[in-house]
Amino acid sequence: MSRDLTVMMLTWEFPPRIIGGISPHVYNLSRNLAKNGVKVYVVTCDFPGAPQHENLDGVEVFRIDSYKNPAPDFATWVYLMNVNMQKEAAAIARSIGGKIDVFHAHDWLVATAGIGLKHVFREPFFATIHSTEIGRRNGIHFDYERMIHETEAWLTYEAWKVICCSNYMVSHVQWAFGLPPDKLIMVPNGVNTEVYEKIENNDLSQFRSKFALPEEKIVLFVGRLVHEKGVHVFVNAVPKVLEKNNAKFIIVGNGYMKDQLSVIVKGMGLDHKVLFTGFVDDETLRKLQRCADVSVVPSLFEPFGIVALEAMAAKSPVVVSDTGGLSEIVDHDVDGVKVYTGNPDSFAWGITRVLTDKAYANRLRTNAYKKIQEKYNWNRIAQQTKSIYETVLTEYSKSFWAQKP
Amino acid sequence: MQVIIFSWEYPPRIVGQLADYVEKLAVQLVKNNEKTWVVTYHDFLTGEYEGPEGVKTFRVTNSVHTHIGVLTWVLTLNQEVERVAANIYYDTKKQIDLIDMHDWHFIPAAVTLKKALNMPFVYSVESLEEHRSHGANSPFNMSIKSIEWLGMFEAGKLVAKSEWMRDEIVRIYKVPTDKIKVISPKSKDWIKDILETYKNVAEGKALK
Repeated sequence: MSRDLTVMMLTWEFPPRIIGGISPHVYNLSRNLAKNGVKVYVVTCDFPGAPQHENLDGVEVFRIDSYKNPAPDFATWVYLMNVNMQKEAAAIARSIGGKIDVFHAHDWLVATAGIGLKHVFREPFFATIHSTEIGRRNGIHFDYERMIHETEAWLTYEAWKVICCSNYMVSHVQWAFGLPPDKLIMVPNGVNTEVYEKIENNDLSQFRSKFALPEEKIVLFVGRLVHEKGVHVFVNAVPKVLEKNNAKFIIVGNGYMKDQLSVIVKGMGLDHKVLFTGFVDDETLRKLQRCADVSVVPSLFEPFGIVALEAMAAKSPVVVSDTGGLSEIVDHDVDGVKVYTGNPDSFAWGITRVLTDKAYANRLRTNAYKKIQEKYNWNRIAQQTKSIYETVLTEYSKSFWAQKP
Repeated sequence: MQVIIFSWEYPPRIVGQLADYVEKLAVQLVKNNEKTWVVTYHDFLTGEYEGPEGVKTFRVTNSVHTHIGVLTWVLTLNQEVERVAANIYYDTKKQIDLIDMHDWHFIPAAVTLKKALNMPFVYSVESLEEHRSHGANSPFNMSIKSIEWLGMFEAGKLVAKSEWMRDEIVRIYKVPTDKIKVISPKSKDWIKDILETYKNVAEGKALK
């Protein structure tokens, strides 16, 4: 192929529209694909104040008129929005002479647009499954959920390859939709190390003093304060950690468990040791991650665990539950500490170990950062994705679809 | 000319008046030596059926079986209509002149095919959501109306079956009157007028 490989990404969220993890994922993947010589067109929903068309770090971003009339329910809105997305994407593809080599859809939210485009333009189609309805709802209970589940199944059926961000998700998706194993590919999520490198060390001591006394170590939790994130396990580990180390426990995030958690903390008489910050802006969060002497991820259920990667990129040692995606990210005693899921004593042990053995903590930091740069580096992930496109395009070139009249 | 007809009902699956009308139209097109395809829905309930000679019929079904209403059913059926229409398009070496689309169900497919493959379409109006729902304006009705509006905006020409319907289209959707051609199925020039409309739309002279 003499000209650049051209991909059209479909996603319902793209910065500045950020609802969940798909937005930063598609943003980082797209701009790193562009850096690797791939021409990327992103088609996404509009957002107040964001331009209809812009070139962002080499990526052509088109924001379409998402359906704005009142819709009967969320799923119907999704399908109606897809009508507009497909129409606009078709017009864009035609306006550049139909030079799209692959279409790539992210989750069922853009399934119908992507499936139609695949057949109309007869190009290979990829799906990244970030999450499933059966996983989100812990089973399929109503017709509404079944409809979404079947749409997800259809999306994986139509895709040439299905990409998941962890081995855990690969096996989950294979189970949920009964896919042949060779249809699934694991490409990890990435993390941006640059944003942490930008932070100057000398800024940090003043920043740190706003959160902890100089003699206190910082133990950090970042996440929604909901049951599945296991933040109650973290809180219950606090007294035992304080037996051996003087520390401040900082809890970043909001959620329905917040009041309940502060009651537990008050009951322990540890109000002065546990700080609930609520939501914080990106810069504050990154600085906190840089300051943390240990970052704790006590999730009970975790498909991927991006927060552990972020801590590792910020060179903070991590203590994580041995579950889901976290089990894959961390090598115990090498680049982090894995402890028993849901067990406060086990967490207290892990945290204490990191806080009391400085050489051990530094070894974890160094190894973790190295792993982030090698395995969870967006540039590498983009190269991996590009080579998946190329492999499929070679297979495709032998198909009758490639012989367009 | 090579024409693809989109209709959500077609014999033996008869829901209202549209099924028989579309079959009659397909037969007449074939008699006039126009190559005709019909793309319609397969409900797996109707039995064996031998369609009229010369009409190629594709019946598509929905990959998503569970639905919460007719809207989600329609919006997930359109991709199969697109798939089949694209197959016809590529099989005929891109020689499809136009799509004749009946009522709102397959408007999303017709619009995408127009944008992607430059196939123009005629929107033949049998009925409108305004009349079917007696003026109700719930989010459900509004969604269907917005799809009807999209079809009217993107169509090369609208065909109404009566002057009353033409006036209703103008009243409800503010479509310019000269974008609508009234062709009564009872008129003796019915098929002649239809063919002339097709020819104009295919040649890009639709607004005349």
